[in-house]
Amino acid sequence: MTEKEAVETFLHDGDSFCIGGFVMWRQPEAIMREIARQGKKNLSIIDESGNFEGIDLLIELGMLDRIDIAYNMTRQVGGISGTPALERGINEGIPRPVETGGVLATPKNKVKSSARWVKLVDWTNFEISLRFMAGAINVPFMPTRSSLGTDIPRYNKDIKVINDPYENKPLLLIPAYKPDVAFISVQKADRRGNGQIWGFKGTDYWKARAAKHVVLLAEELVPTEKIYENPGLTVIPAYCTDAVVHLPFNCHPTGCFGCYTMDGLSFVSKLRQRQTREGALEWIDEWIYGPKNHFGYCDKIGWEKLDRLVKSEHKINNLPG
Amino acid sequence: MANLYTTRDKYNRRQLQAMKKRYDAPVLVCCAGSREVEDRETVFVGIGISDLAGAIAKLVHTPNVILVAEAGYVGFPSLSVLISPADNSAGTMAMCHQALPEMFIDQQSGFIDISYLGFAQMDMFGNVNVSYITGRKMKMNGSGGGGDIASSAGRIVYTAEFNPRQWVEKVDYMTEAGFLDGSPDARKKANLVGGGPSAVVTDRGIFRFAPDTHQLYLAEVFPWQDKEDIKEVKNSFPWDLKVARELKIIEPPTERELWALKLMDPLCQYIIANIMDRPIGKILSEGVLHLEQYDRFLQIIERAIQEVLQTVT
Repeated sequence: MTEKEAVETFLHDGDSFCIGGFVMWRQPEAIMREIARQGKKNLSIIDESGNFEGIDLLIELGMLDRIDIAYNMTRQVGGISGTPALERGINEGIPRPVETGGVLATPKNKVKSSARWVKLVDWTNFEISLRFMAGAINVPFMPTRSSLGTDIPRYNKDIKVINDPYENKPLLLIPAYKPDVAFISVQKADRRGNGQIWGFKGTDYWKARAAKHVVLLAEELVPTEKIYENPGLTVIPAYCTDAVVHLPFNCHPTGCFGCYTMDGLSFVSKLRQRQTREGALEWIDEWIYGPKNHFGYCDKIGWEKLDRLVKSEHKINNLPG
Repeated sequence: MANLYTTRDKYNRRQLQAMKKRYDAPVLVCCAGSREVEDRETVFVGIGISDLAGAIAKLVHTPNVILVAEAGYVGFPSLSVLISPADNSAGTMAMCHQALPEMFIDQQSGFIDISYLGFAQMDMFGNVNVSYITGRKMKMNGSGGGGDIASSAGRIVYTAEFNPRQWVEKVDYMTEAGFLDGSPDARKKANLVGGGPSAVVTDRGIFRFAPDTHQLYLAEVFPWQDKEDIKEVKNSFPWDLKVARELKIIEPPTERELWALKLMDPLCQYIIANIMDRPIGKILSEGVLHLEQYDRFLQIIERAIQEVLQTVT
């Protein structure tokens, strides 16, 4: 299956989805670019922290109706915004106004009456993980002590604070989340759908079990004998998986542990371009709509540069080659 | 404040002012912050100053601490080239690769003794906001794992360069729980398991929380901070900041601490406030995307990591 077929088959207008990985590492950016190319509508996404390029791309194109997130790097990159499209949405209502359930909303005078609002919901990292866990365990919620007494449960109306029936003390209930699709990048997968992850695991174990459909993006497609050699690395067993796409460099510009390091140069130069709406639309025309598919994108980046990222990761990880 | 000068009789005023000029603010915060850990503790580190304070602690003061990062990396030597908790430089030197929720589960069950966090706004009782800051532009940054850490880690050391705007009567939006309303058992009543904030380390002194009132007070100052400086610090607060009757003196960074900082931050990245003015930032801001530029950029990171690997392992 190609990334184009995977998005066509599994992600429909109005669907909710999630992506694997964590802040700048092992995030399936190629899928985000393909979703943009296919012009999907009314999507919702839930993520702990990150995919600053992919999520912001879909915000810029007005494709997301709801974003549940714990961290989005607004203040981090040396004076420039890590998520300029989100910030434009909040301050100017372009492309769509944003509201966060009582804490802030795009000023009324910037919002056209026909505008469709984007809902931004604030969680902590652990709470987002717990949403997937509850979804995976097939229970309606998971309890936690995180954020008790703060403003997060005060403004996030999806969180319930209860006195637990055993100890009669306050607890947060975090509702389950079962996304329609989970797109997860893995270092190795076989044709049967066993996904092996090396390095940090993020929340991918739970995402793969919570989602109704799971698509693996494999850096390397291996025969099942290779999976048997290291069964401990299999985070996502075949019964979770609906489809496997063999797609090297699908995480670019984020990195993939043991395969290639993150491409800070490309990420920051595009981020600077994306600071204005005009720059962002130019970037989208050139880098998203320009290439027909992921391999066209790799051609455009340049395979020598991608190989340099591989060499760096191998050096850092002390791997041969 | 009567005996303010007793422990620093060694130097005169002019010498102390000269000493002050030797250290940049982030160096003071990293080195002073690193002394807050006890040996064999498990330390949850973030990115930047909070990460380097943990790194210095491990290399200089407390060799048996275990550093953990939220993506799932456990037991690595920290590095300033870390720009995210999921970076390969942490993974390649880690003794355990696990998952993100496992880090927070371990924390809620009490395995994390201490964590370093940054902050943007803080009130009298150590409640913190890192997410929504009211200003010219509206922003939602998100607290990431900070809210979870402040809820459940054994104790929190906040590290930041001193800025009068950080201190507020009431935070705009509370992302990290401190001592809430300051009442004696506020955290217990809220059912939070972590001990809450224990110190706020800045380049204008270390602040701690009074055991009875849970109020922030100035506890320790650097040797060059005279009465006027302390008065200025005090006036930066919108409330009447208490100052310890006997202010402790923070020793300036030691040679060993500076060595560790240099090793972990070979490009002196964190001494330079703006990312784009740092050596790597400069390459980034040139905006050139030739293969040679990739080579230049990646070699800097590779060398830094290899140097640490050779020293530490």
